[in-house]
Amino acid sequence: MDLYPFFDWLDTSLLADISKAYGGVFAVVQMFHLLGMSLLGGMVLVGDLRLLNLVMTDTASNIVIQNTQKWFGVGLVTMVISGIFMSSAVSLKLYYNEMFWAKMAALSVGIVFFYFVRRPLLSGPHEAINPRVMNLMAITSIAIWFTVAASGRWIGFS
Amino acid sequence: MLNEWLLALAQYLDTHSWSTQIHESIYLYAWIETTHVLTLMVFLGMLFVIDLRMLGLAFPNVRASTIAERLDKPMMIGLALMVITGLLLYYAIPVRTTQSLWFRIKVVLLVLAAINAFAFRARMQASVGTWDSDPRPPRHIRWGAGASLALWAGVVVTGRTIAYDWFDCHKELPFAMYWAAGCVDEMAALASE
Repeated sequence: MDLYPFFDWLDTSLLADISKAYGGVFAVVQMFHLLGMSLLGGMVLVGDLRLLNLVMTDTASNIVIQNTQKWFGVGLVTMVISGIFMSSAVSLKLYYNEMFWAKMAALSVGIVFFYFVRRPLLSGPHEAINPRVMNLMAITSIAIWFTVAASGRWIGFS
Repeated sequence: MLNEWLLALAQYLDTHSWSTQIHESIYLYAWIETTHVLTLMVFLGMLFVIDLRMLGLAFPNVRASTIAERLDKPMMIGLALMVITGLLLYYAIPVRTTQSLWFRIKVVLLVLAAINAFAFRARMQASVGTWDSDPRPPRHIRWGAGASLALWAGVVVTGRTIAYDWFDCHKELPFAMYWAAGCVDEMAALASE
């Protein structure tokens, strides 16, 4: 499916008018994008490092995971909304940017992995899960979100 | 006087071949900046968890001191790497960065965030025994956590706006702005008119 018409529409939308005309607004939205990503990253790291028995080992892992999931969602929504606004400023350029698509692919994998693999698996008692599966899941999760953040930064360099 | 001294230091750093090599390399500068952003995420991510607990918005069923103590080490590792990469980014472009109004505001916010962190930690350690297990910490702790988040949000936005040239020295600005940005030559030119 070719998404060019969407990017073409975004380029001439009201969002694009605002993001292109007001650099200050763009910078503030970019701040929310980075804060959203940090919030999401913090929740992923705390949860996954707990699953790897590297932090908060004196707190049950299901309590840590339970507490991080809500704020992961807040971070994700903040990141996506601010990301759409930022994309509107250079939407046609992004359409032809390979690193942008790498980030979108990693983000899609991350969302699917979080909501359809990690969360269902961790919703039951953690003692019943094979420790190797738990470790593999934590490392995979960190790797996916690291790729999202790193490829996002490289959009500006490519 | 301080502006002249800071500019002289920046110009001295600018003569270093390493500074030029980092700035002009195809990948090194990008990698340093990427590492800076990624370690910012590690540091800020841990800080978010701690501050949200202190605001009573996350981990209500975990003692506040447990969160603060257990996440202190990964947060400090993130901070250390962020500071090292930040210094390298400054070293790569010392003159323009020194004369960036945004960079100067960022440094002030960083100092304020550090003061707040020390004061916050002292206040927390002095009183934690009385509210440690409470889902909602006392008002002064919540204010400290709120200030921490606000200051770091300011650090992020000013860090990002360093890239914009709105108030760079080559622009026509009022004397006060030249002074705030440390545009020594432009101040002298205005004064001699």
